[in-house]
Amino acid sequence: MNKIITGKNIVKIFGHGSEQTKVLNGVNAEVEKGEFVAVMGPSGSGKSTLLFVLSGMDDITGGSVRFGDTELSQLKENELADVRRKKMGFIFQQPTMLKNLDILDNIILPAAQDGKKDFAQLTQRAKKLMKKTGIAGLEKRDITEVSGGQLQRAGICRALMNEPEILFADEPTGALNSKSSEEIMEMLVDINQEGTAILLVTHDSKVAARADRVLFTKDGDIVSELKLQKFSGDKIESRTEKVLAQMAAVGI
Amino acid sequence: MYSRLIKNDIRKTKLITAAITVFILVSAMLVSLAAILAVNLFGAIDNMMLTARTAHFTRMHAGSIDMAQISEFAEDNANVESWQVLEYLNIEGAQIVIGNENLSWSTQDNGFSTQSREFDFLLDLAGNVIVPQDGEVWIPLYYMKTGSAKVGDEVAVHGVRLTVAGFLRDSMMNPAMASSKRFLVSENDFELLRDRGIMEYLIEFRLFDPAASTTFESGYIAADMPANGPLAITVLLVRLMNGIEDGMMIAVLGLISTLVVIVAFLCIRFTLLAKIEEDYREIGVLKAVGLRVSDIKRLYTVKYGAIAAVASVLGFLLSLAAQEPFMANIRLYLGVSGREVFGVLAGFVGAAVIFLIVMLYVSGVLQRFRKISAAQAVRRGAPQEKTRAARGLSMNGRILSTNAFLAIKDVLTRKKLYIIMFLVIVISSFIMMVPQNIKNTISSPDFFTNMGIGRSDFFFTVTNAQTQDVLGLSAEIAKQVSQDESVLKYAWLTTQLFEMPPVDGAIERMQVTLGDHGVFPVTYTHGAGPKTVDEIAISNLYADDFGKSVGDEIVLMVDGAEKQLTVCGIYTDITNAGKTAKAIFQAHGVDILSSSVWVALDNPAMTAIKVTDYQAKFPAARVIGVNETAAQMFENVASAIGQASLAAIVIAALLTVLVTILFLKMLIAKDRYPIAVLKSMGFTTRSIGRQYMLRSAIVFVLGVVIGTVLANTLGEYAGIALMSSFGASTFPFEINPLFAYVFSPLLLALCVFIATLPGLADIQRVKIFNHIKEA
Repeated sequence: MNKIITGKNIVKIFGHGSEQTKVLNGVNAEVEKGEFVAVMGPSGSGKSTLLFVLSGMDDITGGSVRFGDTELSQLKENELADVRRKKMGFIFQQPTMLKNLDILDNIILPAAQDGKKDFAQLTQRAKKLMKKTGIAGLEKRDITEVSGGQLQRAGICRALMNEPEILFADEPTGALNSKSSEEIMEMLVDINQEGTAILLVTHDSKVAARADRVLFTKDGDIVSELKLQKFSGDKIESRTEKVLAQMAAVGI
Repeated sequence: MYSRLIKNDIRKTKLITAAITVFILVSAMLVSLAAILAVNLFGAIDNMMLTARTAHFTRMHAGSIDMAQISEFAEDNANVESWQVLEYLNIEGAQIVIGNENLSWSTQDNGFSTQSREFDFLLDLAGNVIVPQDGEVWIPLYYMKTGSAKVGDEVAVHGVRLTVAGFLRDSMMNPAMASSKRFLVSENDFELLRDRGIMEYLIEFRLFDPAASTTFESGYIAADMPANGPLAITVLLVRLMNGIEDGMMIAVLGLISTLVVIVAFLCIRFTLLAKIEEDYREIGVLKAVGLRVSDIKRLYTVKYGAIAAVASVLGFLLSLAAQEPFMANIRLYLGVSGREVFGVLAGFVGAAVIFLIVMLYVSGVLQRFRKISAAQAVRRGAPQEKTRAARGLSMNGRILSTNAFLAIKDVLTRKKLYIIMFLVIVISSFIMMVPQNIKNTISSPDFFTNMGIGRSDFFFTVTNAQTQDVLGLSAEIAKQVSQDESVLKYAWLTTQLFEMPPVDGAIERMQVTLGDHGVFPVTYTHGAGPKTVDEIAISNLYADDFGKSVGDEIVLMVDGAEKQLTVCGIYTDITNAGKTAKAIFQAHGVDILSSSVWVALDNPAMTAIKVTDYQAKFPAARVIGVNETAAQMFENVASAIGQASLAAIVIAALLTVLVTILFLKMLIAKDRYPIAVLKSMGFTTRSIGRQYMLRSAIVFVLGVVIGTVLANTLGEYAGIALMSSFGASTFPFEINPLFAYVFSPLLLALCVFIATLPGLADIQRVKIFNHIKEA
């Protein structure tokens, strides 16, 4: 059993009564261990919702989502929190940091909450990650004292602190300039190559082109899928063209 | 349009609207209640004094009396409208048997009188002048309150049998604090009793100008008029004593009301600022399209105007309902006020004042609109909170759990936010403790030392009214006491009247108590007690009268020669109408007014037995237990404040619960985003809840500590302000540690805990998805 996430027949409806909106329409999606999957689609197509329900951060109206062998909808809230803390990492479009902690404490936080008591070791790990993501030296900075790109890297460090099996990334480069964007994507590819699965939602074909597999959503359904070779520093342009061609084919 | 706007807004913020309504309502109710009670209290006092035609100046006198001298004095004094001398037959409490019980427990001077002909009438409870029939006795209201008598009871006085026909309202001696009580009988019955007690006289005057009663008093003393008795009562003192019990309660209500208004302000400020932050962009837009600041302000003031108006009106109406038990007490003691309508009007004005204050405050907070730049508001929305992470506190090297760490860090970082809840806890502690402290202080036996009475177990008083040989009898008492092995220490004091050298032809006199004042010291507000024969300590009323302070000189005529004395201390006194002095020099051949022997026992628990023993041994002296006297004198005041204190506890608990619920709900609403972030990182609802619990706990502990300290220090000044009407100008608070340090914090802690729970449910409801997406 190599599947880390298995979503079957997922239905997600927002609102009640006459104001109901069906955002996911019986979607099937899965992520294998170590796989890098990108989800693309126009605004309102349900791609972010898909990421949130597959990660258990939002509940589903119908269908099933399994993490390994565990049905997420069966878990109690605390058990779900444990899974998120121990097995999953999250990166959001806007860096989600706590205002009253400095960068280092923000990064350490989930690991500390996980009961890891050896702070010297935690700090060492955080610093290593910060070095790797190019933000060494910013440990004691306030989150208002660094740039958006630096904050997003700190977010990645935080997501990696507990060595997750899978990283969920919701438009991680959406708020960044193209240079920062490139650097973040390179980082994600490295992380993936070290064995962490990634499920990433994006608007950007160039970003999606680094994935092993691209899912295209439209009107609450997955309408198409594009399989690519594992990215290994080869030319991004040709992969991007493939993604664009597929998009044109399904009309998004 | 406004009404729809208000309705929508209120529907969206039900809880906060309800809380603010309650605060305004409670303060409007209390202010209105205090106003209604004050008007009726003073109305009732005036009304009673009018019906009873209360004397403007009364001097009790024992011994022979020269009517011609009084008549001459009255004719010479232009201010005297009329005068009379009433007989007051002092009878030992043990000889007055009501039903099966006698009044030996009572520390009051009990005496029998007939109805007066001219003025100073004794009234029945309907406010009519009583005409007692033969065989009837009318009992002072005081004994109705103590439950000692009821209508129809048989009263036996030295074998004379009378029936209780009713209770009487005595404009002069009604309150427990007036230490004498009058029983009313018919003239025939009075003749039967005449030889069974000690005759004293009430020399009474009605004045054309009652306000000048104090001046009149000096004139009376200067004229060497009869003054051998415990009491000189001016109309001012009558008014004060009648008003003090309910007056103190009204003052406590006023104090609580002030604090509740402050809490209401804090909540209004907090919610208004949050609302402005929320509406920042809209306000900018309104400004940009050309609305004036006053127009925009109106949109907000209308809502608070509606809330404040409804709450004030409701508070006023509630005060009308709540006044009944308080008014019942006033009606019983003092009768109808005749100003009921005016009282209701005053209550309404009180509530209206609260409304106005709230509106002024809202308007003040909304001045902030002026600062909003339209361009900035539209483009960027509300400016970010200017918070910086509290430095010097980091995860590394901490010993606390992650939750505790985050909670402390948050409180430190957002002090401004938490200060509101902190202040409310401080105020609640204050409201809870101060009235309780005042009550404890009054109930404490040591309170007497602040009132000019040394801390002893019991004392003997010997006056001319009781014996011809005051000195001889007191010497005998002192001798017996000195030989009594159960006596720890004693002091023999004599009170004498000294003339002062005439100033501008007028002779002033000073009552000075001589003896060793170091044995049972009183508390001095300034300086200390007399240590040499050239020193004198004076009561604060004397200090005011003569304009003297510590270090000043006072000259007395002692044994025919002038004696220079230095004022060494000033103290508060309630005995002898507040005019006393203490010195240790010797004097001979001066009028001795009274003599007293003060005693402390090895075992104070023996006091009651000793008092009975000594009273039997020395029937001509009065033996008085100090604790008992204190208890009887102040029990009504203490119970009135006790009532107010109970109300205060309920209000403080209510405030704490409401504000904490409100505060946490708003805080959690504000914190939806970081909560979602924490949840996304795998924090459970429970552990986030624990953080909020801990934040409340931190703020709570700080609030209670500061509140307790303030209540026990600053509160003392509030207490002193309230009690200065007694003439007590300073005294330390008597704190009941069990209440102040255990019960009160525990009750508040319970309130905070309960109030935190609804907030926790809100944390549960925060969905990661919705809030992370918002960012």
